[in-house]
Amino acid sequence: MNAQNEPEIRELSYAEAIREAMDIALEADPSVLLMGEDIGVYGGAFQVTGDLVEKYGTDRVMDTPISELGGAGVAVGAALTGLKPIFEFQFSDFAALAMEQIVNQAAKVRFMLGGSVSVPLVMRFPAGSGTGAAAQHSQSIEAWLGHVPGLKVVQPSTPEDAKGLLLAAVADPDPVMIFEHKLLYKMKGQVPGGHYTTPIGKAAIRRVGKDVTIVATSIMVHKAMEAAEQLRADDIDAEVIDLRTVRPMDRDTVLSSVRKTGRLICVYEGVKTLGVGAEISAMVAESDAFDFLDAPIVRLGGAECPIPYNPELEKAVVPQMPDILAAARDIVKGRV
Amino acid sequence: MPVEVIMPKVDMDMASGKIMCWHVAVGNRVEKGDPLFDIETDKAAMEVEAPASGILHHAAPEGAEIPIGKAVAWLYAEGEDVGEQPSSFASVGEPTAGPLPDPEAAPEALSTDADPEPETEREMAFADGAGEGIRATPAARRLARDEGVPLASLHGTGPRGRVQAFDVREYLKGLTTPSAPATFRPETGPLVVTRSKGGKGTPILMIHGFANDTTSWAPLEPSLRHRPLIRIHLPGHGRSPKLRIRDFAMLAREVRQAFDALQLDRAHLLGHSLGGALCIALADTRERQLASLNLIAPAGLGPQINGEALSGICKATRTESLKPWLRSLVANEDLITDAYARLAMQSRSDANLRAAQAAMADVLFPDGVQAFDLRAALERIRTPTRILWGKADAIIPWKHALRAPGRMALHLFDGVGHMPQFEAAEEVGNILRSHV
Repeated sequence: MNAQNEPEIRELSYAEAIREAMDIALEADPSVLLMGEDIGVYGGAFQVTGDLVEKYGTDRVMDTPISELGGAGVAVGAALTGLKPIFEFQFSDFAALAMEQIVNQAAKVRFMLGGSVSVPLVMRFPAGSGTGAAAQHSQSIEAWLGHVPGLKVVQPSTPEDAKGLLLAAVADPDPVMIFEHKLLYKMKGQVPGGHYTTPIGKAAIRRVGKDVTIVATSIMVHKAMEAAEQLRADDIDAEVIDLRTVRPMDRDTVLSSVRKTGRLICVYEGVKTLGVGAEISAMVAESDAFDFLDAPIVRLGGAECPIPYNPELEKAVVPQMPDILAAARDIVKGRV
Repeated sequence: MPVEVIMPKVDMDMASGKIMCWHVAVGNRVEKGDPLFDIETDKAAMEVEAPASGILHHAAPEGAEIPIGKAVAWLYAEGEDVGEQPSSFASVGEPTAGPLPDPEAAPEALSTDADPEPETEREMAFADGAGEGIRATPAARRLARDEGVPLASLHGTGPRGRVQAFDVREYLKGLTTPSAPATFRPETGPLVVTRSKGGKGTPILMIHGFANDTTSWAPLEPSLRHRPLIRIHLPGHGRSPKLRIRDFAMLAREVRQAFDALQLDRAHLLGHSLGGALCIALADTRERQLASLNLIAPAGLGPQINGEALSGICKATRTESLKPWLRSLVANEDLITDAYARLAMQSRSDANLRAAQAAMADVLFPDGVQAFDLRAALERIRTPTRILWGKADAIIPWKHALRAPGRMALHLFDGVGHMPQFEAAEEVGNILRSHV
């Protein structure tokens, strides 16, 4: 626990909450350091690290060359020696360049050396579409990394969780991948001061309801909440679950909600096929909650195509609030 | 050589068609292009024109199911020698008709049974999932298991006849409370859709009112012939199956499924009374496919409705008891002649149809109240919308029209009752024609 524990709650943006979490971690533990392209004087591609370099210097807020593979390799190596790097990618899409270090090294070393080492590494990935950055800078690839045993993958949807999950990730002895939706960086919310953690592997019930369970991730949580409010007019009482962690997935929260409502909609921005929603659906279908399903499961995911540059098309290829609304109406009213 | 008349392919996924009726008797002459016979597929009903002029012989019996592309009759030239039937009728059981031969039909033999039993059975088998297990949700199965109810005894009201938890609960309720009139034997299957001949451009899709049928459009149709006309037969009405309707949402779903099956890019919607309410519901989910919305005395905009007249019409078993209620539909009662009432009674002679409508009225208009409210849906609609109403409407108060948003056009007719398309056919026709 941080000595300067401040009980008060302030309104911060999602980006400010992340910066505050990194500040607290740097302050509390000299083995914590930030790494990434342009995170020093430039303040990060999305200005998340901001002026932390002024406070902690370039040894602890370290600009890395334009080589994701090289930077990630250094970060994994640093973690193996006992440091706790927080490595920022400019765009989550660039994880493709660093896959060897993430998947074959960071995720595997603890297992291959019989548990004699661990990789206390945090990686931050600005993710998602909606910024007009086109196909190579807009993907939602959390399911890629969620497929790898040895990694933990989280997707905070609020400023409070962005801070809490980052501090939980720093405290975790194993690699934690954090997917931060770029459109959420400016979103404001109540954030407690001081050090606290949001548990990894624990979903949050954002709205209690009885007619349909909507499990959403990241920015989709907000669209689901908006849909849930509108569904009141149709006499539909939706329960909204913010999954928060993709791996390990919070089985209990999802299953007990489905046992209650009998209906499930999964909403996620990643490509629909073989995505997070497929895992949630299969988890329910394999469990005893299956016996409580009273309608087919619905997955609302990204379209089977690269994210287009055209802003209208960019909107069209990911689930939007009206899609959630229509899906909920259809399965609750028994239309599908 | 006689000209072979074949079963045409009118639907994308049609394998066979049923001969509903011949417009020309065997031995009589028909001119090329004249209506020759009506067919019905599992989706639609349609009139087929004579492919050539000639004398009709060897016509397949009404009710016979013939694979597409196979002969249904032959047209002979005047004076041509009519001998043996050139070839026997193909039956649906033939391998060409599909992978599932009908075990009831002997190969090469024609099913002369006018009773549509085989097809209905197959349809129901699909709907109930018999043969491939019963279609039921996991929740319904669990509930049935816990309560000791055999799944097979349940009637599924979900999509494709799926048994849902609701159905098990309804069944359990039925064990303690009296159920719907015993005479009502619910059926399953898709709604019947009929089309007019001719017309160009965006079709007009018409949905008739409660206890009415597609003949209620007849006075209006001459004004709308410039467009293809498509009429949906509501469940328990006209030629559609007598489904057990659970609530307005289920009825709206049936209509939407019929609409989706038509695969129209765009359509004008025209609905009367309950059909108007269904048009609003359809517009709420399929608005992108709509060119305009035209509502005649639509239901769903307020609680009031003349429940006495509705139940009177449903109950009537004779012309004498039906006629007074029919008169309440119009302002000028002289329009309801004895002959008109007799015809109306004829179309309601099927006791199961009356029972289906009574059961539907009980769900849609319990205690003589409109149990569904579409004002919010109407509020959402941005498609150009016109509402037409008779100010002497004795079934639904015309003032419900005033609840429509200001962007919608209102046409109110003095001295006209609940059926402006009948009482003011020309004026209604002119208004619609100028827009659709």
